[in-house]
Amino acid sequence: MSEKLKNNTFQKVVIVPCSGIGKTYGTVSREAAYDLIEDLRPESAQLVPLSLLVLGDETARQAVAGSPAITIDGCKLACATKMVQESGGTVVQDFAVLDVYRRYRQFKPQGIANLNEGGELLADALAEEAAEVVDQLIAGENENG
Amino acid sequence: MTEFLETTVDKFIFRVATDRFYNGEGVWANEENGRVRIGLSDFVQQRSGDVAFAEIKPIGTSLDFGDELAVIETIKVNIAFTSPVTGKVIEVNPAMNDAPEAINQDPFGEGWLAVIEPADWAADQTRLLDPQAYFRQMKTEAEEEAKKL
Repeated sequence: MSEKLKNNTFQKVVIVPCSGIGKTYGTVSREAAYDLIEDLRPESAQLVPLSLLVLGDETARQAVAGSPAITIDGCKLACATKMVQESGGTVVQDFAVLDVYRRYRQFKPQGIANLNEGGELLADALAEEAAEVVDQLIAGENENG
Repeated sequence: MTEFLETTVDKFIFRVATDRFYNGEGVWANEENGRVRIGLSDFVQQRSGDVAFAEIKPIGTSLDFGDELAVIETIKVNIAFTSPVTGKVIEVNPAMNDAPEAINQDPFGEGWLAVIEPADWAADQTRLLDPQAYFRQMKTEAEEEAKKL
């Protein structure tokens, strides 16, 4: 973890998914983020929409500047990761949906507005991996704080 | 050092290596000391999208010109590509197992698919496009794709 974050205390880990609309992998990234913040770790993770960072929303910028961030990128442009960094945040883990899919080939994502079963399962798997990172960050925070 | 023909279509730049031959699908074949290295063109990789998996026929497989050589799964599509050479597969790029993104990153270099020991390379060449001919075909295809955007 960076020195900046070691010296800060934070309540929740920030989750920033891809904002790509009309792209299957973008949808997977958002579904995974929703799984994480709504079902798996609602007490320890919060979502910051990439669009707010792009717009320079001050509340969103403060959120990423003050907490470790996990980004979930839908493609190699890695907009979520780049935008968090440009907003003064620290990305502690960048998940790329394509890389996750390579680990779970049985979950082939299809669909855009509505994912197929494979896409839903891939999002679930990604959310579980991200949840482990959240747990590690929170555990470290508790040890430090 | 490899030289390239290059064109810009819409916001995309496409390159065609001038030191090899191509089939109509954009599979390149480059003869090296009696063996032929095979890969995909820059246009094919850009049009297909980020590669998730690449399955290449295993070493020892005998192929006729036009037989299926590889299946590529990208974030957009699954595509089968045919061999531009008659012969036997003698080497498969190990990167295709764990880092198939090499196809996107360096299609004319590190992203090669396989090496084939040709049965009659001189005969195969007559059925392939030279770089200039493939460049013209690729440019036409790219312009058609751009109209759909």
